[in-house]
Amino acid sequence: MLYRTAGQFKTSYEADQALFPVKQDAFLLGVILLFAWVIFPLTASEFTFQAILIPVLIFSLAAMGLNILTGFAGQLSLGTGAFMGVGAYACYKMVTLMPWMNPVVAILLSGVFSAGVGVMFGIPSLRIKGFYLAIATLAAQFFLVWLFEKWAWLYNYNQSGAIQVPNLEMFGTFVSGPQAASVTEYYVVLAIVTLLTLVCINLTRGNLGRTWKATRDMDIAAELIGINLMRSKLTAFAISSYIVGVAGAMYVFMWKGAAEPNAFDIPLSFEVLFIAIIGGLGSILGNYLGAILIVGLPVVLNLVPATLGLNWSSATVEHLNVMIVGSLIVFFLIVEPHGLNQLWRLIREKLIIWPFPH
Amino acid sequence: MKHFAKLAAAALVAGAMGTAALAESLYAPNLSYRTGPFAATGIPLMNGQKDYFEMLNARDGGIGGVKIDFAECETGYSTEKGVECYEKTKGQAIVTQPWSTGITLQVLPKTNVDRIPILAPGYGFSPMADGKVFQWAFNVPSGYWDAASMIINYIDNEAGISGKKIAFVHLDHPYGKEPIPLFEKKAAEMGFEFLPIPVGLKEMQNQSAQWLQIRRERPDYVVMWGWGAMNAGAITEAVKTKFDMSKFIGVWWSGHDADLAIVGEDGKGYKSISWSFPNLDAPVMADIKKHVVDAGISQSNETEMQGVFYSRGIVISMILAEGIKTAQDHFGTAQINAEQLRWGLENLNITEARLAELGMEGMVPPFATSCANHTGHSGGWMLEWDGAKFVKVSDLLMPDTSDYADLIAEKAMEYADANTPWEMNEACNVTN
Repeated sequence: MLYRTAGQFKTSYEADQALFPVKQDAFLLGVILLFAWVIFPLTASEFTFQAILIPVLIFSLAAMGLNILTGFAGQLSLGTGAFMGVGAYACYKMVTLMPWMNPVVAILLSGVFSAGVGVMFGIPSLRIKGFYLAIATLAAQFFLVWLFEKWAWLYNYNQSGAIQVPNLEMFGTFVSGPQAASVTEYYVVLAIVTLLTLVCINLTRGNLGRTWKATRDMDIAAELIGINLMRSKLTAFAISSYIVGVAGAMYVFMWKGAAEPNAFDIPLSFEVLFIAIIGGLGSILGNYLGAILIVGLPVVLNLVPATLGLNWSSATVEHLNVMIVGSLIVFFLIVEPHGLNQLWRLIREKLIIWPFPH
Repeated sequence: MKHFAKLAAAALVAGAMGTAALAESLYAPNLSYRTGPFAATGIPLMNGQKDYFEMLNARDGGIGGVKIDFAECETGYSTEKGVECYEKTKGQAIVTQPWSTGITLQVLPKTNVDRIPILAPGYGFSPMADGKVFQWAFNVPSGYWDAASMIINYIDNEAGISGKKIAFVHLDHPYGKEPIPLFEKKAAEMGFEFLPIPVGLKEMQNQSAQWLQIRRERPDYVVMWGWGAMNAGAITEAVKTKFDMSKFIGVWWSGHDADLAIVGEDGKGYKSISWSFPNLDAPVMADIKKHVVDAGISQSNETEMQGVFYSRGIVISMILAEGIKTAQDHFGTAQINAEQLRWGLENLNITEARLAELGMEGMVPPFATSCANHTGHSGGWMLEWDGAKFVKVSDLLMPDTSDYADLIAEKAMEYADANTPWEMNEACNVTN
């Protein structure tokens, strides 16, 4: 009914391979973009910006970066948190060394540093695969966090060892730091996330994406048909780390405001990995759905008892919250092991042929 | 279905009452951590804090006739949840209590814009003592540099610190690194050897490498800046390596009864500097027992209530309560706002007489704050583990505050410069 495709004829290959072969998809995306760009910013409170909208977007982007590497190119990585840290520290050094620099440019550039580091730690992927590679990236995780702690130059010899986001201006308004309004931060995050999502969608649909998928599905076969495995794997590491690094820079500059090295420790890597898995490996939309479930839902659930007027202690609510989110994760993975993205795809396909069963 | 309807009706009524009650109470949220890796130390502190306000609400009907809504927002000591809690509570809050050095660092610049006082008793960033720069931040009654100064003086009095070797076992984290600048400065001045031994967050519970190093280095004293699981780890390792416990001194967060109870008699002689001490005979304890424990609203228990951390929780709440009261008296209104509370916290004067009035003699040394001095530098006592509990083994020790006043001012200005535009209290013309 909602997804009736009757009357939508494709007369060329191009039309058939377009981003939105079904008109309703484009419409749906339009509605979502309208909400994201106009309706949320107009209606959201500061709490919604800080606790839901901004973190969900940033985590979606981080998961998207990981998804390029793990979901599309098939290279397991446990170092996401550390690569996010590289982005954050790079951004910090840039804005403190060059205060005149445009903050958005600094954020976008900081990904370059994490891409470099990512490629370095991606080199082992040419020789080892699967879990062994995951352990190699785990080494990156430990090494980089150690480096953030020990290399005092990185945090400008700050006595507390943490990086503090200074107030950063762009065209006369504060876009980062304590003086920045939440709505400005949100728009910056949204613009960057939208841009990089667009890039990701097109990358994964294009030539590069196809070589990644071939590498993922069977690397020997891919090599036999003439795919340069080294190029395929290292570009995946570079692009993935770039996106993760940008997400890391925004994580500190657009959201947290300060970070100690420990913030980029392994729990962060796991959180991003969970989002990618729950959302669905090898998908773009899944990252958003996963981030909504893992980052957004606990915040919303925390508010429920108070809204209902139940006077439960905060610790009880937190315990319940962990239980509910945990069981939801288990539930979704049982119902659809390929993640929320696949669940949505099935629903969509069923809607297209509705009311017929086949 | 019927049950559900009833439940919904009850919820509605409760909700209505909740909002009604909110209108005539002061909202003083606490970012608690009763869950997560540090819960063992968080629970007694949170219980102490909460019980004191429950007692005030039950006994006096709050402060100045207004009940205090001492809501908790659970962070689990995670900085992410901390940000969420800060944003959630800051709307009507008159104060924010971040309860972790990480969360403190994060909300510190925000409070300066949101104009909410941040109360971090005995923790957080030491230069917050400079009230002219950090006009919204308070780390009463003592900061980490005070603790370091008191420990150095204690060792100097006991054995003469010059020429001695002091090992500094600390959490490799903003919190553990806090006192290092002062230790380094004093080491150069007083001629002792300062040897920092960091303990990573991951190796908190297994410190064999660090203690092996300590055994090799043979320091005269070991000073510890530990927290949570790290304390128990260090203490058990010290016992295992047969380190002389009487030469082992911790900061106030390393003086948790439960950590020492694990080793019991073997931990005898271990010391911890503290700006609070449990006085079980104090009238306030009797009031809490009568109004809170007997009424069944306390989440604490008998053993916990005798500990150092529970009573520290009470003291922390007393500081906030006194700030509220001072502000109410000065502005002549019971419904004070955040700005007025800041004035109250800036003009605290907790004398011996006031402590006696509050029924809290011996639980905290007297101290006073001003617009320039947001710490109070109350001093503290050296506590010693006697095998079953902590006892006081010193008179009141005072830090040499003047000694590092320059360092505080310098670091505070450094912070302000890094965060321009940073609003300071220009009107303040007191020097101390």
